[in-house]
Amino acid sequence: MISVQTAPFDVGTEQQALTQERTDIGAVVCFTGLVRDFNEKPDVHALTLEHYPGMTERALQDIVSEAEGRWSLQGVRLIHRVGRLEPGDPIVMVAVASAHRRHAFEACDFIMDYLKTRAPFWKKEHTVSGQYWVAERDTDIEDAKRWEAT
Amino acid sequence: MSLTHLNSRGEAHMVDVGDKAETRREATACGRIHMRPDTLALLAEGGLPKGDVLATARIAAIQAAKRTHELIPLCHALALSKVEVGFELDTPNACVDVTATCRLTGRTGVEMEALTAVSVACLTLYDMCKAVDKDMRIDGICLLAKTGGKSGDYRRGRVTDLESTQAAASPMEPPVGAATHHEMPMITGESPEGHISIAPRNEQPCIQVKFLAELRERLGISDVDIPFESLTSPTVAGLKQALEAYDERFSLLGERRVLCAVNQVMSADDMSLTDGDEVAFFPPVTGG
Repeated sequence: MISVQTAPFDVGTEQQALTQERTDIGAVVCFTGLVRDFNEKPDVHALTLEHYPGMTERALQDIVSEAEGRWSLQGVRLIHRVGRLEPGDPIVMVAVASAHRRHAFEACDFIMDYLKTRAPFWKKEHTVSGQYWVAERDTDIEDAKRWEAT
Repeated sequence: MSLTHLNSRGEAHMVDVGDKAETRREATACGRIHMRPDTLALLAEGGLPKGDVLATARIAAIQAAKRTHELIPLCHALALSKVEVGFELDTPNACVDVTATCRLTGRTGVEMEALTAVSVACLTLYDMCKAVDKDMRIDGICLLAKTGGKSGDYRRGRVTDLESTQAAASPMEPPVGAATHHEMPMITGESPEGHISIAPRNEQPCIQVKFLAELRERLGISDVDIPFESLTSPTVAGLKQALEAYDERFSLLGERRVLCAVNQVMSADDMSLTDGDEVAFFPPVTGG
C-alpha cells in the first residue's frame, strides 16, 4: 500500500496493519526517515516538500513492484509525507514484510535508494539564514547504482 | 457618473471596448469563510474526506476567473495572463481568508474575474468541508485594489469588518504571515505563493507544459500551453526549441540536470509528442 499524505503517521499502527492476521511473515523491516535540524545549512527550522501528484504515486508503485519482483515479499507499506514539516517529524516510512529477514532488509534498502533517486519529490529547507531548494547528492545516486549490478 | 452597462434607454448592453487602448490591468479581491475551529484544524492537517482542500479551491478559483464571462452576463471573455490565489488560515478567528489577483493586458478591467475567483474559492471550500460542518458562513467579499484603465487606480480603504491582516496588508501583495499554508505546494502548477501563469488560451491543439519545484521558481512560470504546430519536431527536443523561441528564459531547459516527464513518465529528448500531452520539466529529485 502506498500513501502520499500531509498527515503524520504512526509506525506501530502501520506495522501492525501489515502483519495483522498473518502467520506466514517471519520478518518485518521498517525504515523511518525524520526531518533533521541541520543539512546543507545549520538551523533548519522547517522544510517544505513538493511532489508531482499522479506521477509520484505511479513512480512509487513502480519501485515497490520492482522490489516485489526481486525479493520474495509478503507485504509492503510505503508512506511519504508532503507539505510543511519540522525537525523531528517523520517524513517517510517503508515497512517490508517477508518470510525471511534477508529479503526484508534488502528490499527495504532498495526501495529507499530508488525512492530517493526516482520518485518526484523536492525538498525546500527553511533556515534562519533563508530558504533554498535542496540539491541532489552523488551518494544517493551511487547508492541506487548498487542495485543495478545485481 | 452613470452605469456603463445600461444604455440611454436604461437597457442592459455590453460595453463596446474595441476603441479602448490596451493597458496592463490588475485587480485583487478578497473574501472569507468562517467555520468551526475543529473544521479548520481538519482542513489544516489534510484530514477532510474530499482530500486536499486548498489545492482544489485554488484550481476552482482559477477556472472560475477564466470563465467569468459565462457566469456574469455582460462581462467580456478575457485572456487572463495571470491568476494568483492565496489562502490564509486564521486560527484565532476560525476562518480562511482568500485573496485573488487577476492580470491581463487588454481593454477591460479584471475586477469581476478577481471577485468571481474569490467567490468560487469560498464556495469550493464550503463544498469540500460541508460533510463535517454545515454552519460555515461566507462573507467580506470585496475588491481590494485595481490598477490600469480609464477609471484610474482604486485601492480600498481600511474596512471595519475586515480587521484582519488582510485589509491591513498592502492590498496588492498576497497576505503574508501564514507561511505554513502558503508553503504547501501540493499540486502541480503552483508556486509557494500560489502564482499561476496562464498562456493565452486558444482553440488549437497544445502541449501542456509544467515546471516544478526550483525550476518553476527560477523561470517564474508554472504552466504554459504551447501550440503543437509551433514545435520544430514532434519531440521533447522540438518542444524545448519552441519554448526557447517563445521566451529565451527557457534556454534553462537545456541544462543537463533538468529532467523531463511526458504524461508523467520519465522521458528523454527524443520522446515523441502528440497534441494534448502533458510535459513536465523539473530538477533532480530530493525526497526521502
